[in-house]
Amino acid sequence: MNLHLQRLPSARPGMAFGARVAALVLALLTAAAVLAAAGFAPLDLAAQVLRSTFGSRFGLEDLGLLLTPLIYTGLAVAVGLRIGAWNIGAEGQFNIGAFCAAGVALFVPGPVWLLLPLMMVAGAMGGALWILVPTLARAYADVSELITTLLLNFVALLLVYFVATGPWLDPSGHALATTARLPVAVPEFWGIVHWGFPVAVALALLLAVVFAFSRWGYEVRISGSNPGAARYAGIPVTRHLIGVMLLSGALAGLGGMMEVAGTVGRLQGGISNNYGYLGIMVAVLARAAPLGVLASALLMAVILNGGIILQTQGLTTNTVLAVTGLILLFSAIGDELAHYRVIRRQEKG
Amino acid sequence: MDVLAGLIQTAFLAGGVLALAALGEVLAERVGVVNLGVEGLMALGAVTAIATVLAVPIPALGFAAALAVGLVVGMAFALATVVVRANQVLCGLALTLIGTGLAATIGKAYSGMPAPATFRPIHIPVLSDLPFLGRALFSHNVLVYLIFFILPVILHGLMFRTRHGLNMRAVGENPAAADAAGINVMAFRFWYTAIGAAMAAGSGAYLTLAFVPSWSEGVVAGRGWIAVALVIFAGFRPINAAGAALLFGFITALGFVGQARNWPIAASILSMLPYLGTITLIIVPVVAVQRMRRLMAAPAALSVPFFRDMR
Repeated sequence: MNLHLQRLPSARPGMAFGARVAALVLALLTAAAVLAAAGFAPLDLAAQVLRSTFGSRFGLEDLGLLLTPLIYTGLAVAVGLRIGAWNIGAEGQFNIGAFCAAGVALFVPGPVWLLLPLMMVAGAMGGALWILVPTLARAYADVSELITTLLLNFVALLLVYFVATGPWLDPSGHALATTARLPVAVPEFWGIVHWGFPVAVALALLLAVVFAFSRWGYEVRISGSNPGAARYAGIPVTRHLIGVMLLSGALAGLGGMMEVAGTVGRLQGGISNNYGYLGIMVAVLARAAPLGVLASALLMAVILNGGIILQTQGLTTNTVLAVTGLILLFSAIGDELAHYRVIRRQEKG
Repeated sequence: MDVLAGLIQTAFLAGGVLALAALGEVLAERVGVVNLGVEGLMALGAVTAIATVLAVPIPALGFAAALAVGLVVGMAFALATVVVRANQVLCGLALTLIGTGLAATIGKAYSGMPAPATFRPIHIPVLSDLPFLGRALFSHNVLVYLIFFILPVILHGLMFRTRHGLNMRAVGENPAAADAAGINVMAFRFWYTAIGAAMAAGSGAYLTLAFVPSWSEGVVAGRGWIAVALVIFAGFRPINAAGAALLFGFITALGFVGQARNWPIAASILSMLPYLGTITLIIVPVVAVQRMRRLMAAPAALSVPFFRDMR
């Protein structure tokens, strides 16, 4: 008897899921070990995180506020992955969405029932416009969208910072580095959780249905997994690529609109709070499935909430980035290892 | 004239960060591994360097410590991407997140402290006193000469003039053929990825020991990503990469001059220049000149893991 490893062309679903869970556990254990070595008590911290998140209605409402932007950015990245495009620029599109929505709210007079839809359109269009150049460059010149979308994040952050500290600065003089409070707000849905949350969930459901049952969803999937075959079959791959990437940007931009008009209420620098980058994690953990995004966004929101607890313990919020990075690394390794199976081979002779 | 000499001087100083990281990325990508963790590696290198010189005020030691940290982290990254063959994009993004987060956590204690020892410009007799050229070319710290004049030439020679370099490029273009010719694909990929990572961390050390020179959260500010983009723009060639980094140093220097001279443009708008410039330069050439696409093409097996039994 002899044990061999055999690599399968695609991972079996059970193995893939198991590898995901194992990766998550290993990543959290590694983070705990590092924290313990640095003199913190990881078990106490974890208990504190869980208690403060799920122990009270306030905790749950906060969780809802963190969850909402993560669903939008997670969906944005997931939609792109469907056709094999890496939208690493959700962070920037989120900022621009917030910027455009705030612009409408601050400078366009009108009734709330008209302004809110207008802001949603502005946010989504802003996000889509922000990914337009990377999209066209990828579609027609084969320039990697990875780098171009990412670089635009910095431009978007600087732009928002510029308007919030300069031309759009709160004229009342009370606030530094933010605009005035927006006169229009997304109405509340449950406690402090605004309607951005149910809209996000509805979008996830809608996208799941579209990807599972529509011809468009099918063609997009084929274009992503084998562009050559898709072209041969007469699928307009380039058109789908452009459409999907613009949709991806629009989703992130809509997330930014909901954040500025629902959660924060003002446009300020750093409003994206790394949601765009965390959206990559959310989408990857969900294997680009819209319904999976809901679950992985919840997980990420709990971890993010944990970051706020860590901050009270003298760590920076960016410590959470390292923890999420560990989860991503172990997941990537787990994904690959899930392709293997052990086979027993009878020795001959 | 003085302004121009100062601009060129600053261009070298600012471009050095990008050049060292980009040269490291050229090595990794030439053997077929795309390392998107440069940003995180730079953050780790930057914080390692500042912590080291705060303990022992010798800049060379801080730089060496950053190289060592980068090498170890790069080996871990290569273990995941080359040995286990996990998805390179995901592992790279993970490395960026881990590096940025970890560096911010460690660096909190050092935030805002100026580096007690830095790489200072060296005065070269005669040359440094030349008009114009003295200031533009011969008033730099030792790392600038190393990064712009020595390293690119050595790497170019290694990659295009030696058998070893031919093997290296073969591994990145067609690992199956390289493997059939008896080249150890995994060893090439593992070590050049690790060395490239060490150089990325080294460029982080350059940031805190020669350029800024202090640590703060967000000090890297996307330079790692610009370095990755420069490699594409430079067509995966070391001398081009150094030249491209110098061009970007020049754009950055223009922003500095603008701020110092109170140009009527907001500082945050000027800060956008390097990012916008990078995007323009990686898109425009391939759109404008069809031939560039083949000339500047990425190694054929870039980011494709190699499985020997699946030839």
